[in-house]
Amino acid sequence: MATNMRGLTQFIADIRGARVRELEEKRINKEMANIRKKFKDGNLDGYQKKKYVAKIIFTYILGYKVDVGHMEAVNLISSPKYSEKQIGYLAVTLLMHENSDLLRLVVNSIRKDLDENNEISNCLALHAIANVGSNEMAEALAEDVHRLLISPTSQNFVRKKAALTLLRMYRKHPDVIPAAEWALRIVAIMDDPDLGVVVSVTSLIMALAQDHPEAYAVCYQKAVDRLHRLVVDHEYSAQYAYYRVPTPWLQVKLFRLLQYYPPTEDPTLRSVICNVIQTVMNNSAETSRNVQHNNAQNAVLFEAIALAIHLDTNSNLVTNATVLLARFISSKETNVRYLGLDTMAHLAGRTDSLDPIKKHQGTIILSLRDKDISVRRRALDLLFSMCDVDNSEVIVGELLRYLKIADYALREEMVLKIAILTEKYASSYKWYVDTILELIAAAGDHVGEEVWYRVIQIVTNTEDLQAYAARVTLEYLKTPTAHESLVKVGGYILGEYGHLVANEPGSSPIEQFQILHTKSQFCLAATRALLLSTYIKWVNVFPEIKHHLLNVFDRYRHVLDVDLQQRACEYYALASRPEEDELLQNVCEEIPPFPPRESTLINRLNKKLGDTENKRTWIHGGKEVNLERELTQRLNKKALPAEPVLAATAGAADTSNEIMDSLAGLDLTSPSNDRPVATDQSSIFAQLSKPINPAAPRLTTGPNIDRWFEKLTYSADGVLYEDVQIQIGIKSRYQGHLGQLAIYMGNKVSVPLTSFTAMVHVSDPDALSASFAKLPPSTIAPRTQTQFLLQVECKKFFSTPPSISISFLAGAQQSVTLQLPVLITKFFEHVSLGAADFFERWKLIGGPPRESQLIFLIALAEEGGLDLQKYRQVIGGHRLNLLDGIDPNPNNLIGAGILHTSVDGKVGCLLRFEPNQEAKLCRITVRSTSEDVAMEVQKLISKTLTRPPP
Amino acid sequence: MQIVNTSGVSRLTKFFTTPQKPPQVLVEKIFSLISPRSQALCNFLDAPELDPLLNHPSRSGEKLRIIYRNYATLYFVFVVDSSESELGVLDLIQVFVEALDRAFQNVCELDLVFNFDDAHHILSEVVQGGIVLETSVDEIQAAVQQASQARQKSFSSANPLALGSGNKGSRGGGIQTPFGWFAGRFSGSGTR
Repeated sequence: MATNMRGLTQFIADIRGARVRELEEKRINKEMANIRKKFKDGNLDGYQKKKYVAKIIFTYILGYKVDVGHMEAVNLISSPKYSEKQIGYLAVTLLMHENSDLLRLVVNSIRKDLDENNEISNCLALHAIANVGSNEMAEALAEDVHRLLISPTSQNFVRKKAALTLLRMYRKHPDVIPAAEWALRIVAIMDDPDLGVVVSVTSLIMALAQDHPEAYAVCYQKAVDRLHRLVVDHEYSAQYAYYRVPTPWLQVKLFRLLQYYPPTEDPTLRSVICNVIQTVMNNSAETSRNVQHNNAQNAVLFEAIALAIHLDTNSNLVTNATVLLARFISSKETNVRYLGLDTMAHLAGRTDSLDPIKKHQGTIILSLRDKDISVRRRALDLLFSMCDVDNSEVIVGELLRYLKIADYALREEMVLKIAILTEKYASSYKWYVDTILELIAAAGDHVGEEVWYRVIQIVTNTEDLQAYAARVTLEYLKTPTAHESLVKVGGYILGEYGHLVANEPGSSPIEQFQILHTKSQFCLAATRALLLSTYIKWVNVFPEIKHHLLNVFDRYRHVLDVDLQQRACEYYALASRPEEDELLQNVCEEIPPFPPRESTLINRLNKKLGDTENKRTWIHGGKEVNLERELTQRLNKKALPAEPVLAATAGAADTSNEIMDSLAGLDLTSPSNDRPVATDQSSIFAQLSKPINPAAPRLTTGPNIDRWFEKLTYSADGVLYEDVQIQIGIKSRYQGHLGQLAIYMGNKVSVPLTSFTAMVHVSDPDALSASFAKLPPSTIAPRTQTQFLLQVECKKFFSTPPSISISFLAGAQQSVTLQLPVLITKFFEHVSLGAADFFERWKLIGGPPRESQLIFLIALAEEGGLDLQKYRQVIGGHRLNLLDGIDPNPNNLIGAGILHTSVDGKVGCLLRFEPNQEAKLCRITVRSTSEDVAMEVQKLISKTLTRPPP
Repeated sequence: MQIVNTSGVSRLTKFFTTPQKPPQVLVEKIFSLISPRSQALCNFLDAPELDPLLNHPSRSGEKLRIIYRNYATLYFVFVVDSSESELGVLDLIQVFVEALDRAFQNVCELDLVFNFDDAHHILSEVVQGGIVLETSVDEIQAAVQQASQARQKSFSSANPLALGSGNKGSRGGGIQTPFGWFAGRFSGSGTR
């Protein structure tokens, strides 16, 4: 403690007393010399060391360089006294950075402090790792930190820090954290009653879930549940209300977390989320006078709107949000204007219809003139995102006008954006050329190379444009202050297409030459080189000015610049060849069109937007840009280990190839810049954009489990699972293609099961959907039973039953994964047929492949005879109608049923079951209009009725 | 994260990533960015200028933003990437200030100077490794108090004869630093 050390206090007071910098420095140098000497002499006790290290820290904080005291700080860390240890840790975290060699020395002390049974030491150690943790530390200590996080004996404040420390380690060195393995245990902490712990662990999960979305999928449900409890149920402790808003930090994080996942398909979750977002929006309707309250409320609101946009841009929520946003962008409060514009840009980047936003175009354009540069930047982003074919002329015009008065810091970005918009939404080539040339003329220095490369690509590839471009360029060049970029464009275009306008007044060859050449003296060597190339082209097409041009070459043969000199010499030689020589003509052949290629401008913009640890869920630009970006990210993720090549092509261009790329051009057949691969990409995207289905965890196995499941395949109610802690029972009801399972979850022990999570996995969601009617509760009280409903719908034929994963905390983390008895036969309905009808249909369906037959050893009753009752029970339990009196043999069973599916309609199914007493065999024959159904029904029934091997 | 007073003297600086340039350069740069901004402007500022200084990969698209708040003579400044909610950070600054206020009973700039270790400690209870740790002022206060008790205990066990051990809040422990003197120093330092 600073105040406990008189020497230190005196030192601080002295420094404060120093009236000029020199005195202060003098005092510090004196002190440092003293400290150095003391340290050198050694033999200091803990207090002295602490005092000197504290002085060093203070000096460091003042901004001076310090080069002593590191070793002493390391020593202090292992001191048993807290006050010394604390100063030691402070010094280590301040003076050292993560690559410092000395940090190796503290790893062991830190481990000791982590293992100690003293929370305060634990915290110091955790904090040190979180601030300066290196790779080595992560490797050595990850296990210890994880233990502190999950141990039931850890105090809340230790667990909070452990979560964040783990996050730091993960960021530094992802390999040391077995993220997928720890997933369930970590996600379970999201249900912790202490909101502080939840905040920290949510931060951790946000990082982990981005890299392991499948393993952490269950956090989606947890986050929704927690939000619902906070926002709708107002379930939080008073100390976490920040100006009457329940822990805005946590809400923001949870909303953000939900945006990292693709929108959920589960209707229950969806309706809960919508309810939460709606509540947040309603809350924001009442604004208060308190700035802090409004801040917090808006923080949550903006994030909620972002989530609404992420979920579905066409929903009512988003419509409401747009109205809110419109109010925000004209708010008096600058912060609100800023965020309103930001969020609206997000919306514009995602939405299908820009119309609601366009209504506010005027306000947005006005925001470009806001007095705050931050707001102006956001307005620029928004205009960029909301631009389309209809309003491009207005927006680009407005941007161009603004460009002339814009801040320098903003100009380069603006130029790039204007260039992109102009190209993307050009309604006519003429407008394109006019705008781009105006842009180059207006912004000059801020025009990157890409911009003018691009103009030339487009002009070269568009024949109709060439004469016009030459004419306009010439006009621009006539102004006295033409910028160098313009000279470059002019040099290139006139060289290629100058002859197209040579007959027009004011554009004769000699005039063209003079206009261009007067500019050349103010230009850099590279530009002059380009002009020389222009001249050699002119030698070919304008023989009348050849002697002027030869003159120029001749003079340039003596310049110092090697490139210029060489060009001049070569061109001179080329131009001096006899008239009838064809070489010149061949060399100066018109440039062929550039092969279609992606726009370098967009590349350039995207290059700034690779993905990192904490990804943004959207970028500025139209909807396609966002879709494409998502695709790229996913491709990258998928392709990285195996096929880096694919990633490279999908990602931004390599820097070294940049110029090649930019010259390679792009497809100019349509101004809207359709990429030829677009169809491919969209189909891949369609594939990828399916919601991430978490891979079902491995099923829990055991003889009882199989028996219970088997029994449930042909009965509606029964036990699914039971162990010493829990019992799970099922009651089910089916009607047509719909079914409802009531899952009874019993807690058999005398402690509550906390962090209870249930998740259903369906292997093919297109064939079978399963979702909870409402979210299962997160706690099950001791010795009670709770029930939750699962809705299932059969859409098509399926053969893999869904599974349910249940996990909970009862001391330690427990989890079981079980198959649910939802089988294709559950969706059968009875059908009654007479003998004639039955056989007619039987014949109609015919033999294989629409018939499935098997002869198998039949299970027998205890006394060894046929167990007809059991057979009837099983076949009936599979919901086939047993038809009596059709088969003359009373032992033979005949069944009929119709499968109901919501997508593929109805499928009939007929069965003959012929057990043979003597052979103890049975022949089962199933015929159905669907081969799959016949096969599956046969398998299900014969499996249950096969005699177990003795 | 940094605290800087209205004349550009840094009071507390904390980096959660390793900066490229010496901290002082960064502090000056940030101060030069925010100090000309008037109260009416918003509390956020895009700061592409800081990318090279902070070793921030500019290709990533994670634009750095400065989020700051002005309290009397102090600016509280956070530099964050776009993964943070802007208003959230503003709230956080408020939480931090409230926590300081509780710990020092009516905090002023001087407290941060003399009790720099405490100030760092409080910050470490709010933000750890660049991530928000705790947002409840009560919790923060409890944690701070717990730590200071531990410190007093270890101190008094080491120095049984020391007077006024750990008398927190005495602002300078016996050495009086009247406010007028303090203010005077700043008029003097204006020439720097």
